[in-house]
Amino acid sequence: MDIIILGQQLLGYIPLGDIVLYMAPLNLFMFASALAFTTLIAISKTETQVEAEFGTLKDKGVTVDKKEFKIRRFLAIVCGLATAGAMITGDVFDFTLFVCLIGIVNIGIVAAVKQVDVLDAAFQYGLVAMIATLPLFGGAAMILAATGTISLLEIVNIPTTTMMIFGSILLFMGVAGETGVAPFYATKAEMFRTPGSPFLLIIHLSSLLVIVRVIEILLIINKPF
Amino acid sequence: MSASVLVPSVVSPIVVSLFVPAIFTGLLVGIIGLMAISYQKNDLSALILTDIVGVGMLIMVAAVGTDLAESLILPGLVVDLAEILAISEILMSREIRKKGKEVDLIPLPLKMDMEILTTAPTFLAIILISYGAFLSGFTGGAVAGGGILVYVLSRRMRGVPSDMWEGVAGVSGIAWCLWLVGFVIFFAFPQFWLLALFLAAFGIFIKVTFKMGLIGVMGREEFKKE
Repeated sequence: MDIIILGQQLLGYIPLGDIVLYMAPLNLFMFASALAFTTLIAISKTETQVEAEFGTLKDKGVTVDKKEFKIRRFLAIVCGLATAGAMITGDVFDFTLFVCLIGIVNIGIVAAVKQVDVLDAAFQYGLVAMIATLPLFGGAAMILAATGTISLLEIVNIPTTTMMIFGSILLFMGVAGETGVAPFYATKAEMFRTPGSPFLLIIHLSSLLVIVRVIEILLIINKPF
Repeated sequence: MSASVLVPSVVSPIVVSLFVPAIFTGLLVGIIGLMAISYQKNDLSALILTDIVGVGMLIMVAAVGTDLAESLILPGLVVDLAEILAISEILMSREIRKKGKEVDLIPLPLKMDMEILTTAPTFLAIILISYGAFLSGFTGGAVAGGGILVYVLSRRMRGVPSDMWEGVAGVSGIAWCLWLVGFVIFFAFPQFWLLALFLAAFGIFIKVTFKMGLIGVMGREEFKKE
């Protein structure tokens, strides 16, 4: 029962019944950075954007009112906690659920803004995120069907089959759609144009950390070395 | 590790051979949904068609067919519903911003002031609530909650008093406490299991029933109705 990849050392397990969390330096580092960033978000205030107006020399300040600010901060904290959970979980299906939660919360962070363009982009991103649940859960279900378990600590001991490779490719496609990285980035880029900077940055950070983590999971499942 | 190791011998080979066709069915449903999305131009239709892709996801999870897969379908369904709710909320708020004025929660083309809306709901609600109480537990709560929802939505025209929602939400909280107390008794005093069972069953029954009260509270806050 060893899960040493990327030259890591296993520091310990946290067995919670069926769900076993495992701690390796990479996972712990990403977990801690997600939590640290969430703490920064929880205590910070939102920015005010200044937009230049056409035709005059005036500027226009775009502020976020207090009610919207509170909702956004809450959702950003949920997103940070979900990211931290996805970093340290040792269970494929927990990972997919955390990724889905990140996707839903990302939509929620920009849902209350007043700009129509941003809402349009959020709608497109939401459609992609919802379509991406098919490969995400489908891939996890195929890995479950091929190995009989969803615990990464068990999967690491099972020789790779074609079904597992296909399932992990589907899983990767699902994560790419859900977090809105490279092929789907165009849907997400417009979302950042709304004011409220520190809360929007969690959208970036969560997708970054989740991609690193999904590559680790793919290495565990496929065992190329 | 081959499939014969994982699948117990009591499972008939026909059931085992259904796995791959089920996976392909799920993928096919997803592809049909994606093609339909690419053909149409309306945003609302895109949202509804996206749900078909979600159904494909459920088929793929259900194809595994073990009790672990059964426990995984529920979170999948919940995630699907949560996403469709979030996206439809975005669609609504975008349309409201575009129009620039407030609209009703349920816009109706004509004034629905029919007699059947004043006489039938009470009768229907009483039948549904008593049947729900007979069922008890989670299912009964859903049935009785449906009864309350029918009653409230059909009386919406004449205005439901605002105090009622506060009371409903309060009773829901107390019922949840009953449910929790039932669970604590299960673990602390196992000899009183019958009491604990009834506390838990009727606590969750009342809790799920009055969950519908939340809709009323939210409706009042969002749309400034009495």
